[in-house]
Amino acid sequence: MTPRLPRAIDQGLANCHVCGKVTPVVAHRCPRCGAGLHLRKPASLKRTVALLLAAAALYLPANMLPVMTISEIGNVMASTILQGMVEFWRREAYPIAIVIFVASIMIPIVKIVALVWLCAAASGKVHPSPRILGRIYWFTELLGRWSMVDIFVVSILVALVQFGAYMTVAPGPGALAFAGVVVLTMFAAMSFDPRLLWDRLEILEASKTPQPTPNRE
Amino acid sequence: MKREASITTWPKPAGAPHPVACHFCDTLHEATAVPEGTAARCKRCGVVLYQNRPASLVRTTAFSLAALILMGIVNMFPFLTMEANGIKTELSLFRAARELIREGSMTIGWCVAGFTIVAPLVMAGGMLYVCGPLLRGHAAPGARHVARWLGHAEPWNMIEVFLLGVLVSLMKLGKMADLYFGVGFWAFAALMVCMAAAVAGIDRNELWDRLEVAAE
Repeated sequence: MTPRLPRAIDQGLANCHVCGKVTPVVAHRCPRCGAGLHLRKPASLKRTVALLLAAAALYLPANMLPVMTISEIGNVMASTILQGMVEFWRREAYPIAIVIFVASIMIPIVKIVALVWLCAAASGKVHPSPRILGRIYWFTELLGRWSMVDIFVVSILVALVQFGAYMTVAPGPGALAFAGVVVLTMFAAMSFDPRLLWDRLEILEASKTPQPTPNRE
Repeated sequence: MKREASITTWPKPAGAPHPVACHFCDTLHEATAVPEGTAARCKRCGVVLYQNRPASLVRTTAFSLAALILMGIVNMFPFLTMEANGIKTELSLFRAARELIREGSMTIGWCVAGFTIVAPLVMAGGMLYVCGPLLRGHAAPGARHVARWLGHAEPWNMIEVFLLGVLVSLMKLGKMADLYFGVGFWAFAALMVCMAAAVAGIDRNELWDRLEVAAE
């Protein structure tokens, strides 16, 4: 086994989340930037799970309710995100249809599931490798923002398509729910502390090593 | 020792040990100089601890200044013009947010304004304010607070996502009307590149080390 590398927490040192300076946590405030010091993000799992529950609750209305309504010569047509995607597919604009499917439908749900799984791993309910989990975490943080694309499309269409009685576009109730999903999952990813995954591994290895004859289950 | 001396790196604050902890797995390391253009990685999990960016201050200052100028151009010139049935409508960042607010979607309207106008402005203005004076070794008054805000604003700067939104909208509108790209659109594309270059220009640890040295 590789020799155990020292962690900051073992020496009571906190890694400032704003400026990256490593100082004793007893100082409470970072001497360099003034941010509050914590060994781990406070109430990380509780906050993450609460934000994820809120995001999951909004996911259905975000996809069922229309994100915009198009009024065309007296005809009012509501459009959900899924309908927008299907419309592109029917017009054989496959790349755009795929972009919308990935950004608006797949990423939010994958992000919620991935973060729930990360929380389960950090609280010791499942035991995958932190390295793989880390990659998943990095991915969710990187991709989350791109889900916002559909909200921007609504804002652009609302601003551009204003032709009085001939054709207008107005935002729908689904847009608020959808923006809520994106923002809440972004906050959830930010409040999750990946170091908890490694702490769990540490506990697991510590419980394994002292036994001279390991009892394999 | 001889090789380390030839490495150009940023000045370190006074005091002997400069520990860095991996933000990902909390493993402690001693911060050592790395050659320009390379990164120091965590011994345990392999995540990047810090990077030594070449010409970091100059690049970040230049690109954030360029980004600020481009922001002015984006907001002064038409972004996209659409013509249908003799009626012309124009798109601008302000209009995209304002029309939503006028249609009753206050929250989303302010979100869009925050993601496409406020966050990029804070990022570009803040980087210029902090890095510009640092070029001459000074810390601007309140630079510490501004640098803290940079970190908060970064994830909410979504100009590249907005540009994807413009492309998707173009596909949606394509057959419906005549669309013209304005100077603002090309400025916006350039703005995206400059912002990315400015953000990638300097490592967070370097920025804060330099601020600490300048304040000493």
